[in-house]
Amino acid sequence: MAPSTIRGFDEYLQSLPPITFQRLYQQPATALAIFRRMLPSLAKIFVTTLLYNDRPIPLAELQSWVRTESYREREDAFSKLRRLHITQERAGNVSIDPIFKKNFRLALTGGGDHHSFGVPVDASDDRKKVSISTLDNYAANQFDCILHYMVEPSGQRQPNPGVKILLITSGLMKQSERGHQPKITQAGFSFILQEGNAQIWALLIQYLEMCESLQMEKTEVLHFLLMLGSLELGQAYSTATLTQTQIKVLADLKDYGVVYQRKSMPDRFYPTRLATTLTSDVTGLRSTAASFTQALVAAGPVAPPSEAAGESGFIIIETNYRVYAYTNNPLSIAILDLFCKLGSRFPNLVTAKLTRASIQRAIANGITADQIIDYLKVHAHPVMRKNVLILPPTVVDQIRLWQIEGERMKTTPGFLFKDFASEWDFQDTARYAEELGILAWKDSKRRLMFATRTEQIVDYLKRRGEQQAVGRKV
Amino acid sequence: MPRVNKGVLVECDPSIKAILLKIDQDAGHAYIIEDLDESTLVVKEQKLADLKHQLDAVLRKTSMQEREEESSGDDDGDF
Repeated sequence: MAPSTIRGFDEYLQSLPPITFQRLYQQPATALAIFRRMLPSLAKIFVTTLLYNDRPIPLAELQSWVRTESYREREDAFSKLRRLHITQERAGNVSIDPIFKKNFRLALTGGGDHHSFGVPVDASDDRKKVSISTLDNYAANQFDCILHYMVEPSGQRQPNPGVKILLITSGLMKQSERGHQPKITQAGFSFILQEGNAQIWALLIQYLEMCESLQMEKTEVLHFLLMLGSLELGQAYSTATLTQTQIKVLADLKDYGVVYQRKSMPDRFYPTRLATTLTSDVTGLRSTAASFTQALVAAGPVAPPSEAAGESGFIIIETNYRVYAYTNNPLSIAILDLFCKLGSRFPNLVTAKLTRASIQRAIANGITADQIIDYLKVHAHPVMRKNVLILPPTVVDQIRLWQIEGERMKTTPGFLFKDFASEWDFQDTARYAEELGILAWKDSKRRLMFATRTEQIVDYLKRRGEQQAVGRKV
Repeated sequence: MPRVNKGVLVECDPSIKAILLKIDQDAGHAYIIEDLDESTLVVKEQKLADLKHQLDAVLRKTSMQEREEESSGDDDGDF
């Protein structure tokens, strides 16, 4: 489910005004992180080509590198670069944004006095050394606490007030009545079943949006988040180079388990695995989950042993839809309760059943069949993993069928385009959208079309308008 | 430049669409942005969940008996 995490952050970035990008690219670490995480590989090739070219290159020349049948990928790469304000175009020539160029070069070759990759602190003289497993435990515990609170707001382990406010402003939970505990929303339900790093990014994006209302400088927060991705696990970093805003952010991130800080040592912080994998690619994200599991298994004294067993897979499903979950972790049981009909509870086992009613209730709560299937797959008991297909195919099919049964309409979020100036205007735009594969519906007679995304089309219309204006002048 | 409206494209059977149009009309056109053709509409994004809910309510009313029979069959899980 990692692509969705990229998409979430991607959309957020593209909604920022150009001036913010100018400020973002002033930090080498940010330039590098955006290059690493946000660009498709074709766009990376264009950037590396242009990087050490001092003069602009004709756009046509770059375009001729790509086979004509890969038109779509090429347009996608260029439009990404334009939208992230990495390239500039003047009179058919492309060049890299000077600020991006300068700082990306700095990031690649080193040098400069920017501290944007953090300042390591020598922690060898510490009396108590902070080990990687301590960091993993801390991160897992903090994050578990947040999830637990969402499922069971009146539980014993309560996260800090900051986290609670974030959950409510982000719409993952809802304050029903004054004085009552907040309740989880539809968005919250599907959040809980997401993969770990998707959850972290979702929270951080919400955090960024909340920053604006707290009068915190957005770019500084972004710099800090993207810097975290280039830090090293197990290394201590100094807080001396951070700005006032960033110190505040640091305190909040501690609550999410993204960074670790000792009370006795306020001058340094440790990034956890959640932080160091923020800007790495998909494979990096998978290993996060794996190492988390190991950390939890190893964490005898910190986490209860049941939790350790729970994380490594505890669900057995039979072809008759019976579910046996070897766990006594309240969080796992609460999650199962979202889409199963719970039966009996034993000291180390919960029996449940997948029924049409339970699945449809989950779907009504905003959980998708795929999320349920993914969750069951990830948490399947080792015995189930011996099979080629981890889950019984009949059960998987039936969960999907139950979902379709409840869906009487097929929905596609997107944008309706109307009031085209001329027949040609409509046909040309619709053709472009179709080539990009984002056209969902059109009616030539009424000059109406529906596309799943707008950025590229708006971008295209703008350029087409400019070209026409130039043509008229000539 | 054409005008752009954010929304959700809904594709469904003509019979379902008729119900949707009725719900929209009763609510003073609070849901539908544009009626495209016999099986497609564009609906306001933030109203979609509400619309689905309304549709379910109407359908449940019309097929109550059938549903009751099925759900009683589901509940016989004996542990």
